[in-house]
This record gives sequence, structure tokens and C-alpha cells, in this order.
Amino acid sequence: MAATAQRPAGARSIGARLGVWFGLAVIAVWTLAPIAVMVFTSFKPSGEIFTVPPTLLPREWTLANYLSVFTTSSMPQALRNSVVVGLLVALLTLTLGTSAGYALARIRFRGARSVSLFILLGQMVPLTVLLLALFRMINAIGFSDTVVGVALAHLVITLPLVTWMIRNQIAAIPYELEEAAMIDGCSRVDAVLYAVLPVAGPGLAAAGMFAFLQSWHEFVLASVLTRSDRSRTAPIALTEFATEFDVDWGATMAASVVLTVPLVIAFVALQRYLVNGLTGGAVKG
Amino acid sequence: MASTFASERRGYGLVAPTLAAMAVLTIVPIVVVVTRAAGAEGRAVAATLLGSSEFHLILGRTGIWTVVSVAGALVIGFGAALLLQSRWVRWPGLWRGIFMVPWIIPGVVGATIWKWNYSSNYGLLNHTLQTVGVINEPVQWLSDPSIVLYALAAVQVWSTAPFVMLLLGAALTAVPGERYEAARLDGAGLPGLFRYITLPAVRPTTAIASLMLVTFALNAFTIIWVSTAGGPVGSSTILPVELYRAFQNGDDATVAVIACVQLVISAALALVYVRSMKAGDE
Repeated sequence: MAATAQRPAGARSIGARLGVWFGLAVIAVWTLAPIAVMVFTSFKPSGEIFTVPPTLLPREWTLANYLSVFTTSSMPQALRNSVVVGLLVALLTLTLGTSAGYALARIRFRGARSVSLFILLGQMVPLTVLLLALFRMINAIGFSDTVVGVALAHLVITLPLVTWMIRNQIAAIPYELEEAAMIDGCSRVDAVLYAVLPVAGPGLAAAGMFAFLQSWHEFVLASVLTRSDRSRTAPIALTEFATEFDVDWGATMAASVVLTVPLVIAFVALQRYLVNGLTGGAVKG
Repeated sequence: MASTFASERRGYGLVAPTLAAMAVLTIVPIVVVVTRAAGAEGRAVAATLLGSSEFHLILGRTGIWTVVSVAGALVIGFGAALLLQSRWVRWPGLWRGIFMVPWIIPGVVGATIWKWNYSSNYGLLNHTLQTVGVINEPVQWLSDPSIVLYALAAVQVWSTAPFVMLLLGAALTAVPGERYEAARLDGAGLPGLFRYITLPAVRPTTAIASLMLVTFALNAFTIIWVSTAGGPVGSSTILPVELYRAFQNGDDATVAVIACVQLVISAALALVYVRSMKAGDE
């Protein structure tokens, strides 16, 4: 299947073509069926959700679920919290990650290798291992149940990969660019600010977006660091449509769609940078 | 790339904030749990917990969960990457984007929609399988203790397979076409090409992808917690879920002991990771 050269069309070729299409169809159904159910269920009136036999499409389309998510639930506040946390995380991660990423890409210093390794290994520590101590530390510095507390904890997820992404992006920019600027009389700092950062700009934006997305996803840390609507992020609020005995599935699905749509849009816009950054980081190791 | 005049001091200064942040967020918590687990109370908890049959069951489940979800993601992800290389697929970029969606979706959303699909009476999965005739009775996906772990592993596969597709797709694209051409001139058929050209070319990437999948699986929490909270009767409880439950009960000594077990496993994986990086350099 990986073969790409031309071959005479014949019975075998038709068979292979059907095989490929069948495979694509299977993966498409596996990937999209659950998502289609989410989207269509979110448009069903509450009476239609528990019908037997279940149907995929709503018989009657309604926006009532979205209305209840945005007017009567804690979701709007939670989405605001998630945005604030995500922006804080992106800002902090970019500031720290650019500084470290630049040094790791450009400056030779003893221990640079160990530093990269230490930062990269950070992403292998299970979050549950850190749970107890992070919870205590955030409480101790007075940030319990605040968006700042959640954002600080999220740095442990975003810093390793983003630092590595930025390091790879800067390493890919020819050093001559800075040299030329410095020959023209710039200081090194100016050379970085006016020659390197503009070139790295789109990549840095993608790295910041990536940090935002990871924070937007995060569940386990946010679930223990938040106690009230004041700081609760969207993934945590989503689980609150389910009480012990009853789940409002229509509203849950509508809220799920609301949580997913911004991610898909961001991904489509930044796909190229994210794919390069991730595969570059992972394959180069 | 190398700059001869840049001082070492500047290098340290620039990495210091990130290093400090990572140290506070990882090293300090690790020291806290290790000290806690090594204390008198921790040792007592460890002695009873590590010997209990319930804990051995949890370890066994963690193993099954990891093997099933990693193997599934590798097979489906590799299959999808191969399919997208085919010259009969139009707009491979579009397909790749569509297949990525489960990976982009937050874990809590993925778990929620699968929970609904798995519903034994109202879920479309049982309905479809019954209509097609694969099953006669509705399957209790999330409430049958012998099925639930595999049903949840399927959700983990669903959300991580795109990651494999992405990495292996990049590796497959990087194989020069002449290599296939040369092998074909030597008389290799499709199975031969796959065996002797494709597989060796993607082996390093597959190793890294597997390692990351194992890490994802061992750290997995959200999908299980949101779907079943580890139930019914503990039949979907793996290490991180058990730790979280101890945390909720305020049983800090147990949290510390389980965290240490997780740390030992992660350290072994990290060793493999460091070795593969060193091997990649040479």
C-alpha cells in the first residue's frame, strides 16, 4: 500500500483500490460515529433522547440544550475560567520556554544536554504522583480555588513539550541571520528581538496555542485545585451535568460540542505548525 | 549555530527560570511523596497494601489496560497512516485532519460521548450491533465487570491512535521512493516491500510512539474516572484511579505509597527513553 509507482490497471489494482476505500470507510466510521452522535444528540429535544430504538438524527431539531447550557448552567463562567487559565498558561509557558529554548538551541554551555533531558523527562512523571504535593503547595501560597493556582499547576504539563518545540524551531533558523544583524551593529539582544523572533513568530504562536490547548484539556489537576464556580474550568463543569442519579444528556452533549469546537478550529488553523513541532520533537527525541 | 563568544553564564541564566519552575513542580512533589511513603505510617501502609490481593488485581488490570490500549492504538494508527500513503486516496491532508479529531477532543468530552454510546438501552452501539445481528442481547459495556476494562481501553485507543497515525505518517513520507523502486526491480512484491522497506524505515518512530503510548496509558485517568469512576466493584480501577480515590478519602499515606509505585514504573520507562535518545545520537 505504501508503494506509489504506476502499475498497469488490472483486476489486482481494482481490488487494492476497493481495499483502500473500505479501510478508509472503516476508520472514518470508527473516528466519526461517536462525534456524530454527540453533535446530533445535542440538537434533540429532551423527550427524544431516551427513545427506544435510538436514532442518530433528531426527528425535531432544537437549540434548547444550547440555551440551557448558556443560560442556566455554570458553563459560561467555567468557559471564562478556562480561557483565563489557558491564556495565563500560554503566556507563562512562552516566556519561560522561549528563553530556555533559545539558550538550548544557540548557546553551548556545559550541562545543556542534561538540562534538555531533565525538562523532557518532566513530561513522563504521572500527574497523579504530583497531585498531593501540588495541591498542598498551591494551598500554601494562598492560591487555592483560584484560576492562577490552576494555571501554575498546568505549567508542569506545558513547559517540557513547548520548550522543546521552541528549541527545535530556533535551531531551524540559520544562525547567519543573527550574525548579519550583529555585523550591522545590533546588540545580541536586539538581533534576537528583531531578527530571530519575527522569523520564529508563527512557530511561537503555534507553541503558545499548543500550551493553551493542553490547559484547556486538563482534568485531574483542575478537579482537585478548584472547589467552586469561581475557578472551576470547563472540563470539570462538564461533569456536573451528571448528578448521581440523573444525567441531562442533551445539555451534556451541547456543552461537549461547545468545548470541542474551539479546539477543532484552532487545530485546523495551526495544523501545519503543530504537526511539524510535535513530530520534530518526538522523532528527533 | 554554535556561538563562540556567548558566555556560559548567559546560557545558565536563560534556562534557569524554566529549570526552577520544573524543579518546583516535579522534584519537590516527588521528594514529598517519597518522604511520606518512607515514614513510619507510609511503611506500615506499604506493608499491608503491597501484599494485598486487591492491590495485585489493580496491578494486573493496569497491565491489561496498558497492553490492550497500546496494541490497539498501534494497529489502528499504523493502518490509518499506511492507508493515507496510498495513491488512491484523494485529499490525504483532509482525511488526516478528520482522523485527528479524537485526539484533539478533550479526554473528558471523549469519555462523556462514549459513555452515552455505551448506554445499554439508549446507546447506538448496542442498537447497531443488534440490528446487524452481531449480538442478540444488549451488552452491558460499562456495568459488566468482565467487559468494562476492555470497553474503556477502546476509548483510550480511539483517542490515542491518531497520535500514532501522525508520527508514523511523517516517518512513512520520509522514506525515499527510489528505495521502493530499487526493491521492486529486484523482484520484491507488495509483502516484500512492506517487510523489507516499510517496516525497517518506521521502526525507530514506532519505538518512540510505543513508549509515549505506554506513558499515556499508565497515566490515564480522565477516561476511566468520568465513565465509571473505577467501577463496577473496582473492575476498571487502575493505579492512577486508585490513587485519586485515596486522595479523595484524605488517605495521604496510601496516596504516597501508590505514587511511589507509579514513580518506579515511570523511572523504568524514562531509562528506556534516555537510552533510545542516546542510540539516536550515534
